[in-house]
Amino acid sequence: MLPSGLPDIVSGEEDLARFLRSSGHFNTTMVKPAAFAPNPKNQQTSVFRHGDAPLDGLVRLAEEYVALGGTVYGAAICKASSVRAENLDVVAAEPPPRHADIAGWPFNADPELQKAARKERMLRLAASSTLVLF
Amino acid sequence: MSEPVSLNLARAGSEGLFVAPHHGTAVSGEAAAIRKSERAVAESRERSIALFGSKASAISEIRELVSEHAGPGWDGDGAEPISPLAAQLAVDLIRALPNDIPMPEFAPEPDGSISLDWIQSRSSMVSISAGETDRLAYAWLDGTDRGHAVARFDGERVPPRILDTIRQTVMPSNVAIRVA
Repeated sequence: MLPSGLPDIVSGEEDLARFLRSSGHFNTTMVKPAAFAPNPKNQQTSVFRHGDAPLDGLVRLAEEYVALGGTVYGAAICKASSVRAENLDVVAAEPPPRHADIAGWPFNADPELQKAARKERMLRLAASSTLVLF
Repeated sequence: MSEPVSLNLARAGSEGLFVAPHHGTAVSGEAAAIRKSERAVAESRERSIALFGSKASAISEIRELVSEHAGPGWDGDGAEPISPLAAQLAVDLIRALPNDIPMPEFAPEPDGSISLDWIQSRSSMVSISAGETDRLAYAWLDGTDRGHAVARFDGERVPPRILDTIRQTVMPSNVAIRVA
């Protein structure tokens, strides 16, 4: 059991929130693929396990751990199972509480080919996500 | 007597987007040919201005994206600022797009690249990454079909493979025409 009280293993049924820090990461109807791009330093995509928390719980989570003086426009919500369906993994990574990482992005010695393979997965993640604006 | 050609062209130029009205009464074959040319010039100008308008607007969006993501860590998680080289490549791509291809949406990527996205629906999308090299990483999702590839861009001509992918994925009318 993690300090947040959540189990160590992220269940496929869990909802994940990818907070949106750029207005360029969504349009009027959906999240854009680039919103899921992994961090170039640690090659992982930071998400929060928000479970069935209502919207105000999600906003509080963003204000407390993500905004840090900046703007959080909303979140892309997707199931952990959708992430795993793309041969990626979701691993708990606390602190902060409820934090997790999308890991296992494809690796290739050719950086552009690696990026293209990752992009294909990002397209699928965007397609299976719901956009929630704050 | 028909009007001098130079006068007609000057009028077409001064009236901008509109086809120059022709008030002459001449009905000779030469006059008709001149009128036809006059219309063609004006229509060509209209098309150019309309196209330039949408490309200029897209290029403005790129500039805005660059200024909004000019500092490191814009995502609160170590993102790189958008690279000037990536921005120039994105602008070159827009300028090189053939006229039948719609303008994409843009998104910043945490490695400093710019994503050019054609989003028809959740299940029909094409995304190209403009980064610091002339090799473009791109991917597509078309219903159950999906894929990714890399193509080289010479700065003037968008790789035909990419154009085919855009036309097939997000321009359904094109598919209908091709099948018919």
